[in-house]
Amino acid sequence: MHKRLDRKPRSDSPANRVLAALPRKDYLALLPGLAPVALVFGDVLYEPGEAIRDVYFPGRSVVSLLTVVDGHAALEVGLVGREGMVGIPLALGIGVSPVRAVVQGAGSALQMSAARFRKALDGAPSLQRALHRYAHALMAQITQTAACNRFHTVDERLARWLLMTRDRLCSGEFHLTHEFLSHMLGVRRVGVTEAACGLQQRGLIDYSRGNIRILDDAGLEAASCSCYELVSDRVPASA
Amino acid sequence: MVMAGSVCRLHPGENRLLAALPEPDYQSLLPHLELMPMPLGQAVYESGGPQGFVYFPTDSIVSLLYVLENGASTEIAVTGNEGLVGISLFMGGETTPSRAVVQSAGQGYRVRAAVLKKRFESSGDVQHLLLRFTQALITQMTQTAVCNRHHAVDQQLCRWLLLMLDRLASDEVRMTQELIANMLGVRREGVTEAAGKLQAHGLIEYARGRIRVLDRPRLERSVCECYAVVKREYDRLLPYGKRPAVAT
Repeated sequence: MHKRLDRKPRSDSPANRVLAALPRKDYLALLPGLAPVALVFGDVLYEPGEAIRDVYFPGRSVVSLLTVVDGHAALEVGLVGREGMVGIPLALGIGVSPVRAVVQGAGSALQMSAARFRKALDGAPSLQRALHRYAHALMAQITQTAACNRFHTVDERLARWLLMTRDRLCSGEFHLTHEFLSHMLGVRRVGVTEAACGLQQRGLIDYSRGNIRILDDAGLEAASCSCYELVSDRVPASA
Repeated sequence: MVMAGSVCRLHPGENRLLAALPEPDYQSLLPHLELMPMPLGQAVYESGGPQGFVYFPTDSIVSLLYVLENGASTEIAVTGNEGLVGISLFMGGETTPSRAVVQSAGQGYRVRAAVLKKRFESSGDVQHLLLRFTQALITQMTQTAVCNRHHAVDQQLCRWLLLMLDRLASDEVRMTQELIANMLGVRREGVTEAAGKLQAHGLIEYARGRIRVLDRPRLERSVCECYAVVKREYDRLLPYGKRPAVAT
């Protein structure tokens, strides 16, 4: 369960890009409803079909959106970091999440209750516009994933997801269990081991005991399918 | 709203999204709706290209296709009379990575993006409805991502077929194997094999570019869960009810 942080959200430029894009007075109006939290790796924020109780604006954290297939296996269909918001259906007027949302990269986020969020949305066209733009960007990411899953190899897809995680965490070192990787790629453990070893053998990453360290950024980008590059400009590179 | 030389002009209410608009919003859009032929293969918009119009298909079906650099393509989502084509125009997004191509010929109504955007921004009801459609579309795209990873070609063919039939007023789809291959992102041989399998099981009849479904209930039982997930979501988010009668 994530920890409430004992501080107020910063009133100067927020880490989350959706919030940072708002006119200052609109952001300040939201502040009282935004609670800083520390998202914990592996935490399930929503299950599919569950009512959305809170939305999250990630800072340096990453949330994975997964669909449940054939009753149990899951497949990652999207990543949400500081470029977006977790709980987009609520911004589209729908109170239920169709996907599972799980914390993939621990870190800070701003949390707001669904009730407060709905109210805030009503009163702020700027927030509506920012979230509609983000929803569109998320659709582009999912579109890319659909195409990627059709055409690209496991190695290429692994490289792509690792790079997307790196961009959102602003760090080339993070923790990703075998289970997580298996969901990212939609393959079983053997496939994960093979793909990870493949990248390791090429000197692109170091992967041991769930800890990933990207050794060669340029090399990993070259190893990725073009899907990474095509969507990456939607995530700001610098802090 | 006149299309010269047309034999049968479908009413805007044949698009169920338009029909679901509250009367005042519908009336205010009506003068701006232009009936267009939507011939097979027409690119409604190109990836990265400008889009001036939003389309509301009546009896045509549009495919959102992702095209790779090497020319290979795969369908991400399909839209017919249950929705609209050109979401980025009112969601305010940047250019889209897919192209929208007419997959089943027919007609549709188009409206200038600026007109729809103004309605979207000023009418809560219009916004509400269009956003719900957006969520339904996201679910369809998401399910395609899943299906492309986990399910075999014959399942994907079933899913594609059922999604098409739901948007057509018939139990028959006219489509060459080549085109279906482009939709599914597989080689033509893969389609031949998959179609052969379905035919052998008595589910469809496929001859001379025409697929006729022989046993719809059994087809729905044979398909992967991806079809039901998408259908349920569309039904839940867009509770259209009975189709409106056609006005001549």
